[in-house]
Amino acid sequence: MSKDETLGEALRRQGITRRGFLKFCAATASMMALPPSMVPAIAAALEKAMRPSVIWLSFQECTGCTESLTRSHSPTVEGLIFDTISLDYHHTLQAASGSAAEAAREAAMEENYGKYILVVDGSIPTANPGYSTIAGISNKSMLLDTAKGAAAIVAVGTCAAYGGIPKAKPNPTGAVAVSDLIKDKPIINVSGCPPIPVVITGVLAHFLTFGTIPELDALGRPKAYYGQSIHDRCYRRPFYDKGLFANTFDDEGAKKGWCLYKLGCKGPTTYNACATTKWNEGTSFPIEAGHPCLGCSEPDFWDGGGFYKALSMPTEDITRAAVYAVGAGAAAGVALGAMNRAKKARAVKTHEKVTINDLEKGADDD
Amino acid sequence: MSASLQRGLNAFKEQIDAPVAAFFSSCVRCGLCANACLFYTETGDPKYTPIYKLEPLRRVWRQEYTFWGRLAKAVGLSKAVTDEELGDWEELVYDSCTMCGRCSMVCPVGNDITYMIRKMREGMAVAGHAPVGLVGATKRAVEIGSPMGVKLPALQAQIRHTETEFGLEIPVDKEGADYLLLLSSMEIMNFPEFIGAVAKIFKHAGVSWTISSEAFEATNSGIQIGVSEIAAELVQRIVTAAEKLKVKSVISPECGHAYMAIRWEGPNLIGRPYSFKVVHILELLDQLRAEGRLQTTGKESQRLTYHDPCQVSRRGGVVDQPRNLLNMVAEDFVEMPETGTMNWCCGAGGGVSSNERADEIRLKAFNRKKQQLDAIHPQAIVSACSNCRIHLEDGLEEYGMDMPVISLTETIAEHLAEDKS
Repeated sequence: MSKDETLGEALRRQGITRRGFLKFCAATASMMALPPSMVPAIAAALEKAMRPSVIWLSFQECTGCTESLTRSHSPTVEGLIFDTISLDYHHTLQAASGSAAEAAREAAMEENYGKYILVVDGSIPTANPGYSTIAGISNKSMLLDTAKGAAAIVAVGTCAAYGGIPKAKPNPTGAVAVSDLIKDKPIINVSGCPPIPVVITGVLAHFLTFGTIPELDALGRPKAYYGQSIHDRCYRRPFYDKGLFANTFDDEGAKKGWCLYKLGCKGPTTYNACATTKWNEGTSFPIEAGHPCLGCSEPDFWDGGGFYKALSMPTEDITRAAVYAVGAGAAAGVALGAMNRAKKARAVKTHEKVTINDLEKGADDD
Repeated sequence: MSASLQRGLNAFKEQIDAPVAAFFSSCVRCGLCANACLFYTETGDPKYTPIYKLEPLRRVWRQEYTFWGRLAKAVGLSKAVTDEELGDWEELVYDSCTMCGRCSMVCPVGNDITYMIRKMREGMAVAGHAPVGLVGATKRAVEIGSPMGVKLPALQAQIRHTETEFGLEIPVDKEGADYLLLLSSMEIMNFPEFIGAVAKIFKHAGVSWTISSEAFEATNSGIQIGVSEIAAELVQRIVTAAEKLKVKSVISPECGHAYMAIRWEGPNLIGRPYSFKVVHILELLDQLRAEGRLQTTGKESQRLTYHDPCQVSRRGGVVDQPRNLLNMVAEDFVEMPETGTMNWCCGAGGGVSSNERADEIRLKAFNRKKQQLDAIHPQAIVSACSNCRIHLEDGLEEYGMDMPVISLTETIAEHLAEDKS
């Protein structure tokens, strides 16, 4: 694969037809909530785009994100697009190791300084640099060093985006998210444990097409994929609206496919594209398989109370202050209620029998 | 004792209960109730928005029963309800509300506005802000026994007249009869044919019935003006008579609010269950039909429609029965655009008909019924409430529409099969 090859050339060389390519562009446009008129623009931009250099750094992670992006796909158009980026450094996938691998990274950085995309998966330990090192370089210094020349940073997975499981209480390694360390570069959080494969290819396609990062939500996630809650797009939503819930995993409600809210589904507070894009080439998603959403694309999802506790239940032991507040509120309510009751009782007591002589003002007392 | 602002406000405090508090706190001020009210739709004046008619009651609730309201009152940020304000609201609470219940049907948060108007009238009445006409009717109901001043001799004359005309016996004070028939003053004075029609049908179907000389009046001005004590006294008269005659059921006649009073409010007013059942005349006729005891012959060829009396249909639940009965005798029965529980009021219920001051707005509001009729062009209107009938006739005349308004019971009586019985 030549580095001077454009994306369009690379795709055609791999047997992707023009029609297949345009289908991908249209799908990308609709996924990113762009108007259909943007499809030709995407096609033209992708066609001409030089394969961008991508440096992929993996820190405190489980490789699940890489698995999701590479292995869960049979080679689809998205998969090949992914293949046609110039993945200059990815220590899980690359053949080189040790100083040779690091030399490749340094070479790519130098050659594409200011233009390459930095993809990060995994969180960064800050308690002790020795907790996670690559070729003797601590995660933190490798990230700071590599980020300097990046055009944009894509934090793939909840660990890179928000700290994820390594950051879960009690967070022994002092794990932090990419955005906690890098403040001067555009960061796109593609959260999820793992994230949906097409979301990352979509983000890359957007970057290649427009040279900008997509519109992000308050948590730095592309709105096109994270704009709506799982709950709002869930096919089980009508059952929620009707108040039909599964109470256990084997009751009548579960068999009938009713809402999993009471089994702890975090769909209402989780923003992701699972309910629409789905997994395994659109086959299904966890709720469709009968399991409540864990909320994996949200910050601190691991510490959000039990996975099987309904959202309406308190997530942790309510503190003493909260107990007092609840007590005071209840007492105030009871007091106000008692005062109201007394007032009404007084009103009832003050009531004098109403006769027909009481219906006019100033009528004489008979 | 006489009416006073203080008594009125005290009654408001007394009337505010958990539902009222829940309704006021739930109101989202969407204004959907406005378009459900014929007084608003036909005038376009926002003061006729049903929930706005309750504003003084809402203010009392807020000032007396809510934390922030109490606070605002304590520091002088909100002023107490004045007698002038109640005076201003008299027209809204009595003249331009028939307690038809349509606003309660459309409220998206489920507020029963009609329930609150009924309660607000309790305070308005003792504050001296009930309409003069309604006060007069209530006095006559208590003192004479009928809001129209009908006395027993008048009824006896109508009974004698009916017996001669139909050649039927009208049982009076017959102990142990199954049914006690109540009548509204309007039926006695304006539509005495109703008595004959019932007698004919009951003879045909073999129903054991009677009229009480002690309590024949079905109407209840007490629930219209909003004085529960008077309403209870009027209900008690019927209960005493029914229990004395040991009847199994009491029949509410072709009158809307009478059914509301005796069937729904009655036991709550007197504070105990009845020893008898209460049925509306249409419920009984439909039951007779279902039992095969009502045989009719021939059909009305003219195009008929049915005007649902609000208290009988919407608030009483007697919706299917009149349709079943009409289908027995009508060849061409057409429904108005909005019927049954979403019917539009004739404009004269809830005490409006006793209140001459309301005549102008009542006739203006009748335009709503006119539009409904214009949509289907019936040749005659059938109804089951004497008050509706009188005011439909009045409205039709005002708008120059020529259309008879007939009683459903009488229509059935006219078509009874002769051979049976």
